[in-house]
Amino acid sequence: MRILVVEDDEALANQIVETLRGEGYAVDHAADGEDAQFLGETEPYDAIVLDLGLPVVDGLTVLERWRNADIKTPVLILTARDRWSEKVAGFDAGADDYVAKPFQMEELLARLRALIRRAAGFASAELSCGPLTLDTRSARVTVDGAPIKLTGHEYKLLSYLMHHQDEVISRTDLTEHIYDQDFDRDSNTIEVFVGRLRKKLGVDVIKTVRGLGYKMEPPGEAEAS
Amino acid sequence: MRLRRPNSLTFRLLLTAALGILLASAIGLLLLSIVFRAYVEKGFDARLTLFLDALTAEVWIDPSGAVRLQDPLPEPRFNQPYSGWYWQVTPTFGQGLKSRSLWDQVLTPKPGFTGDTDHRYYTQGPEHERLRVVERDITLPGSSLAYRISVAASSAEIDSDIRSFNSFVRWSTIALAAGLIFSIFIQVRFGLGPLRHLQRALANVRSGRARRLEGEYPREVEPLVHELNALLDHNEKVVDRARTHVGNLAHALKTPLSVLKNEIGKEGKANGLDTQLDAMQKHIDYYLRQARVAARGGVVGVRTEVSPVVDDMLRTLAKMHRDKVVDAQTRGAADLVFRGERQDLDEMLGNLMENAFKWAEGRVRITLSRQGANAVIDVEDDGPGIPPGARATVFGRGNRADEAKPGAGLGLAIASDIAGMCGGNISLGDSELGGLKARLTLPAAL
Repeated sequence: MRILVVEDDEALANQIVETLRGEGYAVDHAADGEDAQFLGETEPYDAIVLDLGLPVVDGLTVLERWRNADIKTPVLILTARDRWSEKVAGFDAGADDYVAKPFQMEELLARLRALIRRAAGFASAELSCGPLTLDTRSARVTVDGAPIKLTGHEYKLLSYLMHHQDEVISRTDLTEHIYDQDFDRDSNTIEVFVGRLRKKLGVDVIKTVRGLGYKMEPPGEAEAS
Repeated sequence: MRLRRPNSLTFRLLLTAALGILLASAIGLLLLSIVFRAYVEKGFDARLTLFLDALTAEVWIDPSGAVRLQDPLPEPRFNQPYSGWYWQVTPTFGQGLKSRSLWDQVLTPKPGFTGDTDHRYYTQGPEHERLRVVERDITLPGSSLAYRISVAASSAEIDSDIRSFNSFVRWSTIALAAGLIFSIFIQVRFGLGPLRHLQRALANVRSGRARRLEGEYPREVEPLVHELNALLDHNEKVVDRARTHVGNLAHALKTPLSVLKNEIGKEGKANGLDTQLDAMQKHIDYYLRQARVAARGGVVGVRTEVSPVVDDMLRTLAKMHRDKVVDAQTRGAADLVFRGERQDLDEMLGNLMENAFKWAEGRVRITLSRQGANAVIDVEDDGPGIPPGARATVFGRGNRADEAKPGAGLGLAIASDIAGMCGGNISLGDSELGGLKARLTLPAAL
């Protein structure tokens, strides 16, 4: 999962970015409205945390420009202005959720998880595919109830695939969504991660769609070649 | 604009006008009466002078030196005793001659030589009547003496004319003065009309029916209206600026507060720093709200339509609670207007409706109605409700920031505080839908 954090206060931005990275997200940071608008329009984020009081271009305007440019990435507004009139303006501009400062990091994380899940069309915090279960709250993965220990990158990859079940995900999609923009990307490493994941899970849920990429499917419904 | 109050413009204008009119009328009356009297006297004197001329022609001195008349004067009243018409010839020495009407009385000539002009004066005659006398000194052939010839007549004839004329003029003048004073009263009422209009317009501003002074005013009042409107605008700006400053300060503090909170969260809550941070946050929230109350005192004439606010909140809440299927209904008076600020209504309705959405199983109902001078907004849900005994505690009253407890009731407490500041209140009851019914009662604007 790749997230854009737009926050002009350096200390707070660092805290959010560190926390999110610690939770296994790939995170990019923008400190002003112009950068934010550019990144949001060019990079495929899974969610955006947007502060409203930004230099150069304010957050609400950035959000409106994204929505006008038909960018549907879920946006969580982060603001000190917690009046209802401001909430109405935020949601009307196209926000998907709203967190008022000062906030607890846990709350931000919970809202963000829910946002990503909802965008992928899941109602529950637990995603499952056959015997495989992924709890987005605790980042626990189990197969038939038995916990599986995964590295950060493996979890990121599995989480993205689980959020996009029934879709064919290309290697490029995966690199774009599990690495931030500063990472030295190499799509060959994806194949290595997928291989390791398949071995650790022990069940055949990650199917290869030749020439296109990967797809999550419960075992036994073999239709991919 | 009551006439009784001495300190009113109407009273001042009427008083000065009435004094002027009365004074001018009195002077006019006096002058008219003097002129008329002089005119009537002149006519009377002319008649007397005719008799005097006739008498002068008829008087002669007989050889014995006695005064005689050649022929009697052609006026019978000179022969009736005390008829009011008299004549007399008085020599400087010796026996004179007088009309038969004088009987046993004599006229006492005015001392002093008449010269070329006749003496004309009033005197007391027989029977105590007032006499008008015209007299002249002449010399007669056959005598070295000077003779004073007097003709007198009762002034009763001209006095009654003058009296009736004076009476007529007096009543005419009173009627004129009354008419003038009445027309000035009408003029003052009409002229001061714009001031009464201005007063009503100001009352409208205060009662919230208008934000500025509306309408056309005469050129003399227009600058005053202009200044008042400028004052209202300035007031609004000052309030806005104060509000913005307090808001900016409070909001600027929230970001560093977030940072501190998250840093401390990592260290653990054992040292009690997190409670200090919570206290800081509560103080900020509390004074942010207090600043809004303090600022509100100067703001006049605001009105907010309720329906659009309800729609805004429904739209926003539907997005905030999109995991939940809530059937939200609005009914009642769509033209309801609240006498107060949009932001306040936003906060009250936002908190009440969010509470309803949070607890609802699947239905929320908003009912707008006008009850007398109040705008009444019912927010109902089909959730678990609040038992009657616990309702008072959810408002978590207390004016000190550190007494406000966070939790389920906080939204209700905030809404209730704001309602109180706006001159309204919130009461809780049972809804037909099965859950809580929160009734927000606010002053309505007309």
